[in-house]
Amino acid sequence: MSAKKPKITIKNLSKYFDDLVVLDDISFDIYDGEFLCVVGPTGCGKTTFCNVVTRLLPSTKGSVTVGAEAIDFKKHNVSFIFQEPSCLPWRTVWDNVKIGLEIKGYPEPEIRERVQNVLEMTGLTPFKDFFPNQISAGMKQRVAIARAFVTEPDMLLMDEPFGQLDTSTRFSIENSLVRLWEKTKQTVIFVTHNLEEAVYLSERILVLTQKPTKIKSEVGVQHLLHPRDIADPEFVRIRRQVTDLVRWW
Amino acid sequence: MNDKQKEQVKTVLYNILSLIVVAVLWTLFSAWQQSPFFPPPADIWKAFVGLATQGDIEGISLARHIWASLIRIFAGFAAACALGIPLGLAMGLWPRMYNRTRAVLEPIRFIPPIAWIPMAIVLLVGFSRYAFLIWLGAFFPIFITTLLSVTRVNPVHVNVAKVFGASRSYIIRKIVIPSVLPDIATGMRVGLGIAWMCIVAAEMIGGEMIGVGRLILKYAELIRMGEIIVGMLVIGIIGFLMNEIFIVVEKRVFRWRSEVSID
Repeated sequence: MSAKKPKITIKNLSKYFDDLVVLDDISFDIYDGEFLCVVGPTGCGKTTFCNVVTRLLPSTKGSVTVGAEAIDFKKHNVSFIFQEPSCLPWRTVWDNVKIGLEIKGYPEPEIRERVQNVLEMTGLTPFKDFFPNQISAGMKQRVAIARAFVTEPDMLLMDEPFGQLDTSTRFSIENSLVRLWEKTKQTVIFVTHNLEEAVYLSERILVLTQKPTKIKSEVGVQHLLHPRDIADPEFVRIRRQVTDLVRWW
Repeated sequence: MNDKQKEQVKTVLYNILSLIVVAVLWTLFSAWQQSPFFPPPADIWKAFVGLATQGDIEGISLARHIWASLIRIFAGFAAACALGIPLGLAMGLWPRMYNRTRAVLEPIRFIPPIAWIPMAIVLLVGFSRYAFLIWLGAFFPIFITTLLSVTRVNPVHVNVAKVFGASRSYIIRKIVIPSVLPDIATGMRVGLGIAWMCIVAAEMIGGEMIGVGRLILKYAELIRMGEIIVGMLVIGIIGFLMNEIFIVVEKRVFRWRSEVSID
């Protein structure tokens, strides 16, 4: 990984809320096309981390750069899959998926083609005319994934997107996500507290500490090929390694 | 017939039954009272037929009274929507505007429309008096609901657009407005109900001898309870029908909502 050129650089990122230090001097690089998982205990500030990285919240110190430029929604193509349900209830699945392209001013034929492709890849084509209240929670997250991937973002940030799903739905969506990522090779930062999920999905795992949050350790998973088998001895070993790292959170 | 249809039929039958129960109770009560102040349903029906076919003491038919009231209601209601929705949106989007004018707006909200009658008599004439009082009744529910709904727009929905680089204008047009429309519709429904309830007060001061409120007042002077009750029932039934029509339209327009209204 070190031979690759970093696509996104997070440098000395800190966030304080008055006297409360939430993020404390976090620095790391993300490489082009990498799937990076950030794991941390509940309440350590993972959502704050996502909001600061995407600039939804201003940082107290530090910088997030894409290439050499500070990250900017207008200039860079950023997608964010939120922890909470984020489908716009008044838009159909189709219209939800196309919103990013619509905002970025893509021509209608290109929007149609891209949305059609991503709906196909995520298995949502039969539901394209449905409203979010007519589909399950799992499908709503698929819509959020499709909406995020369709713009082919420079950076895709996912904040515990499957936390509210049951195990079988989660596995199914995780598999869809991996397939989609393998096809598109977009740069993903996936934030979660689920260690198995992190080992199952990512190429590299960053383990965060309790507040004030720092990076505690980094674990490489890129040698495990997809689709991964959770009973595979190497998978089990890595999961145990990450578990040991987080045991004293 | 599926369970849902069975439940609908049951609901209709229970409503008819409750109307019959009220009519029977009213009949028994008026038979017991034997008073001209409590006419039996048959006399109320006769009064209704008389008003509908021959008109009131001045020969104005019930339909003309209803039409005149509806025109006034819609004028006042339209004015309330035209002012309440944009103002509510603006103050919701720029809360400082509301915070800095709260001391003016909030006390006015608590003055009942009927308390404005002397002021309306002094300041206004003719149709504008009706429209003003009805506007007062409808404006605040519409304005307040719009204002509050803007402040309650789901921030995640706004953030979805923001991370894609949406402009403020896009966020207002494509996120805030669609998200608050159902609440505005609810405010409009409540406002229309209150506007309709203000009709008697408005027609007390309007000066013209036409309108359902005026009809009630005319017969109140003659102490003719049959016609008064017809006027009251007409107000109630039209209010009910307007509300039902609004609910049907809301359900159709906002079919993306899982819950539209309590019906």
